[in-house]
Amino acid sequence: GAMAPGKKITARIKRTLPVKGPQAPTLSELMRWYCLNTNTHGCRRIVVSRGRLRRFIWILLTLSAVGLILWQCAELLMNYYSASVSVTVQFQKLPFPAVTICNINPYKYSSMKDYLSELDKETKKALETFYGFSEGKSKVRRSADEWNSTGSNFFKQIPLLKFEDFSKTVIDLRSGQKRKIEGSVFHKDSSIVNSGDSNDIIGFQLCDANNSSECALYTFSSGVNAIQEWYKLHYMNIMAQIPLETKEKLSYSADDLLLTCFFDGLSCDKRHFTRFHHPLHGNCYTFNSGENGTVLSTSTGGSEYGLQVVLYIDEADYNPFLVTSTGAKIIVHDQNEYPFIEDIGTEIETAAATSIGMHFTRSRKLSKPYSDCTETGADIPVENLYNKSYSLQICLHSCFQKAMVDSCGCAQYAQPLPAGAEYCNYKKNPNWMYCYYRLHEKFVKEQLGCQQICKDACSFKEWALTTSIAQWPSTVSEDWMLRVLSWDKGQKINKKLNKTDLANLMVFYKDLNERFISENPANTLVILLSNFGGQLGLWMSCSVVCVIEIVEVFFIDSLSIVMRRQWQKAKKWWNGRKRDGSGKPGQAGDLERQGHDNPVCIDEDLPTFNTALHLPLPQDSPLPRTPPPNYSTLHLETAFTEQLPDTLEVGQH
Amino acid sequence: MNLRKYFIRALHRLQKGPGYTYKELLVWYCDNTNTHGPKRIIKEGPKKKLIWFFLTLLFASLVFWQWGILINTYLSYNVTSSLSIGFKTMKFPAVTVCNANPFKYSEVKHLLKELDRLIEAALERILQPTPGNSSEKSLTPPLNLELWHQIPLVLIDEHDKDNPVILDIFESNQAAGGNHTSVGNKTADGNQTACSHQGSDNCTYRNFTSAAQAVTEWYILQSTSILSKVPLQERIRMGYQAEDMILACLYGAEPCNYKNFTQIYHPDHGNCYIFNWGMDEEALNSSNPGAEFGLKLILDISQQDYIPYLSSAAGARLMLHQQKSFPFLKDQGIYAMAGTETSIGVLVDELERMGYPYSDCTMNGSDVPVKNLYSQYNTSYSIQACLRSCFQNHMIETCGCGHYMFPLPEGVNYCNNEDNPGWAYCYSSLRSSIRHRQICIDSCKETCNDTQYKMTISMADWPSEASEDWIFHILSYERDMSTNVTLDRNGIIKLNIYFQEYNYRTISESAATTIVWLLSSLGGQFGFWMGGSVLCLIEFGEIIIDSLWITIINIISWCKGLKQKRARAQYPDVPPTVSELVEAHTNLGFQHEDAGTLPRDQVLPPEPGTPPPNYDSLRVQPLDILSPDSDAE
Repeated sequence: GAMAPGKKITARIKRTLPVKGPQAPTLSELMRWYCLNTNTHGCRRIVVSRGRLRRFIWILLTLSAVGLILWQCAELLMNYYSASVSVTVQFQKLPFPAVTICNINPYKYSSMKDYLSELDKETKKALETFYGFSEGKSKVRRSADEWNSTGSNFFKQIPLLKFEDFSKTVIDLRSGQKRKIEGSVFHKDSSIVNSGDSNDIIGFQLCDANNSSECALYTFSSGVNAIQEWYKLHYMNIMAQIPLETKEKLSYSADDLLLTCFFDGLSCDKRHFTRFHHPLHGNCYTFNSGENGTVLSTSTGGSEYGLQVVLYIDEADYNPFLVTSTGAKIIVHDQNEYPFIEDIGTEIETAAATSIGMHFTRSRKLSKPYSDCTETGADIPVENLYNKSYSLQICLHSCFQKAMVDSCGCAQYAQPLPAGAEYCNYKKNPNWMYCYYRLHEKFVKEQLGCQQICKDACSFKEWALTTSIAQWPSTVSEDWMLRVLSWDKGQKINKKLNKTDLANLMVFYKDLNERFISENPANTLVILLSNFGGQLGLWMSCSVVCVIEIVEVFFIDSLSIVMRRQWQKAKKWWNGRKRDGSGKPGQAGDLERQGHDNPVCIDEDLPTFNTALHLPLPQDSPLPRTPPPNYSTLHLETAFTEQLPDTLEVGQH
Repeated sequence: MNLRKYFIRALHRLQKGPGYTYKELLVWYCDNTNTHGPKRIIKEGPKKKLIWFFLTLLFASLVFWQWGILINTYLSYNVTSSLSIGFKTMKFPAVTVCNANPFKYSEVKHLLKELDRLIEAALERILQPTPGNSSEKSLTPPLNLELWHQIPLVLIDEHDKDNPVILDIFESNQAAGGNHTSVGNKTADGNQTACSHQGSDNCTYRNFTSAAQAVTEWYILQSTSILSKVPLQERIRMGYQAEDMILACLYGAEPCNYKNFTQIYHPDHGNCYIFNWGMDEEALNSSNPGAEFGLKLILDISQQDYIPYLSSAAGARLMLHQQKSFPFLKDQGIYAMAGTETSIGVLVDELERMGYPYSDCTMNGSDVPVKNLYSQYNTSYSIQACLRSCFQNHMIETCGCGHYMFPLPEGVNYCNNEDNPGWAYCYSSLRSSIRHRQICIDSCKETCNDTQYKMTISMADWPSEASEDWIFHILSYERDMSTNVTLDRNGIIKLNIYFQEYNYRTISESAATTIVWLLSSLGGQFGFWMGGSVLCLIEFGEIIIDSLWITIINIISWCKGLKQKRARAQYPDVPPTVSELVEAHTNLGFQHEDAGTLPRDQVLPPEPGTPPPNYDSLRVQPLDILSPDSDAE
């Protein structure tokens, strides 16, 4: 016939690269074909088995194998993000950590007189009035009357109160008047207020300046704590008003603090120390801060090769109310870390040699998705107020300071200033103390959300310290030692030093072993796949190929069979309506196709159990076979090669 | 021809399967292999065939890639650590106790007399701004300046950076000195170490910013030189004796005394005494936590008998260490203060590592290229011992004598100022040499089993004021058999050493990748992508052998053919057709006929396995199946 050239070409393509349909015309055929030809093990048994029971057992086994595979693989997937820990020890030259040394007393009391004289006078008077304490008896007695008349700012601001029998009656320490505290403002907080049965409870009241009915009461079981806390609040107020440069001058200079210095067998001096102003501890000095770019390192362990310093602690110049202990505080930290000396400092005794042996450990955690830690802190929505690398503590403090600035309008004195804010003092922010205490309470109760936002740092360095103390100087060497050290101190001090003014400190590496604890992913993709393969292979001898097979057979082929069925049904129904019962050729063809055997399945099959073992085929194996015809027209095609319904239709017409 | 037949037979016997040509072999292989992909290639239609071919190729390459990763992982010898914490019966650590002061001053006074007078005079000079010339000279006998000239103490005025003024303290012209003190500017006190040949340029100044430090260092150098000449027996006699130092001892409920301690001479601290060293007797076990079951000691350090300039810190030095190891007190030791009770809770922190190739550590130090000088004490290898031995060896090499603080190898003497005038210079340059330290760090290896004793130290005043009197009385009576109190608060120390509630923390390493792990991972990968196993690899190897066979046969037949062609050309050996070959592999009796009608090239590859027509199936074949093709024609 006259065919269009396009049709000719498609027909040629069809002939040369025939598009074959699924391997069987019906679903059950397909399944049978699949089971006989698949690479997985169980399925074949189901088809090949004889007897219902046996077949049922095989179905059961196959299904349970599939279930096991799914379960185990799910297990493997869930454990994928687990980490294993490895510890390595390396012996090497170690970088010496930064050592920050502070005097416990922040500022020289003698030079602070100008700022604190008022406060101290009132504190002394308070002590005198209510505890009967006086140092210079006559002087205080004389001014007792004067006090009441002049009135004191400090007590107006925060009145010190004494409770009687833990009732609501309080005595105002200043006026001595009894007064009642209204029930509504009594802020009894079990975590802060000591609920002991002592009748000597002392505390102070903080009120909202804008709304005087809003008051919070802070009580202490001992007057020592109450007075110190009370003093500290006022002290912070005063200090907040002094500019940083002045404060640095008021505190100890490097020459004041450091008498001798010795590192790694060589002499060192104040040039090796960097000044660092801490709001609560005044001037601190950091040895080996790495500020000029070089970090000292030790290549020998032992006390001779570490840092040895003799500190001058001028006990006489201590603030009697602010600090009650004598000595120095030191902290060993990394050059990039901020020294939180008030939180984790080690105290150094005077008249003693403190030897601190260090052991270095470095740890490293895996970040997401293994654990919830942060590498640099850049992903934490809290601005780092400290000029140092991220740590959890920095984050918490910054977070609190930010909340403080937001809600109280000024910054807390002990932490660095955010941009554009200034420290609280009650000239400008009369309300800050109340605000601060409320906020701090919230912070402790984790209501500010800081603990939720802040995350651990993923890597950190730790110096484990072993501290021990010896008497220093020894009784026999005391004499010459103090004389020579006094000479070292130079002409500034004419008096001979007292041994309680001195502290000897030795910081050294006990050994040069660095312990490195690191987390490693327990699984890699390769191992996961191997484990999958192991599971699949163990239960069903399956592989990715089988999975593709399954997809091919169960989804593509089955779907196409179903689709074709539907299509043919629809066509038949259409034809039937059109020609109204003029023969049923389509149906006959269908029947025929259904009945016939798939030659692929029967003849050219994969090695079955029989063929694999070279057993004679059970029945119709025509031996000897004749050679196939040599002409190529008799292609041994599968029966359904050209089964596409449309071509079928064409052929019938 | 016979030969070829023979080979064919042999081949068949060997393999019973593959055909005669590469193609046949390949098809047979694909059909019968246990790996999953190849079968698909030959079973599917042309398009799918192509897809499957690429899939198989892809999977095969994936398998090889991942195998590479796995083998790499295996060869990196990773380790995993396991941690265990708890309490178990453990060997109580060896406890070394020493006095911070090495010798009784009363015993060594005669040796150090000259030196002490010298330093006293020097201190006078330093501290007094204007020396009263006449009075001092008359009071003191003339000083022995010989010691002084070997290593003089000098004042360095660095006020002028470029021209520091150097003043010998005992120089007669004190004009400049007066100037310095009156100016009172930044001065550095220097300790000069002289060179071996006087007057040469080989001199260095060791600078100290503190006079106290300089005097101490100077004194140590001088006294070291003096004491190094004293024989060991004499030095031991001059130190503290066990019966004087260890006043009371109680281990658990059992009493012990100074005789349970092993004496060892330590250059830094004189006589040290080691409890439970485990050298002669079995090490003691402790099976209970708490202070009641630990070691309780009362020591006397007699602070009045300290050498004033040598050690300024007073106390006992103690250290916990493993049995049979040398105590390196300067590194690991801690102080215990006089007049206090020091409680030490112990946690044994062990690290057990795998040796080569997992990590670079040494089991017993035998593979370290440094001669261990501490082996003369019968102690085990440690990194500290190695570093010190290494330093001493360097010292002997460069200075010709050994340093007093470290043990000596045979045939070498300790350095002293008379025999080795330049030793101090040599020593201090060696000590500050970074290069030498690095050499030692590089050559020493840490031990694989690292044991540390983590200590929780706490202190309290002891004895209490109320109990002071009777305690001193009894202890004095016991030691000195006198009713007078011979002890005081400045000398007495109580020590409690015991295991904590959790007394061990062990981190042990195990190989992360073993050969079993490697094999199962390899198998897993192969199985995952291709469903293969070792047998599949063997199959593959078999096929390669087969193809080699075929090659050999082909070559032989080609040679034969060539020969035959030359001999008689009438019988060209026609290559067998595919169908013949197929028959050949199923039917040995089959002889091919000279069909010859179809050239061999035209035989299509997918047809090799074509069985004879199955008439059964032909019957049901719809007639119209092939008609579209003919229609298209």
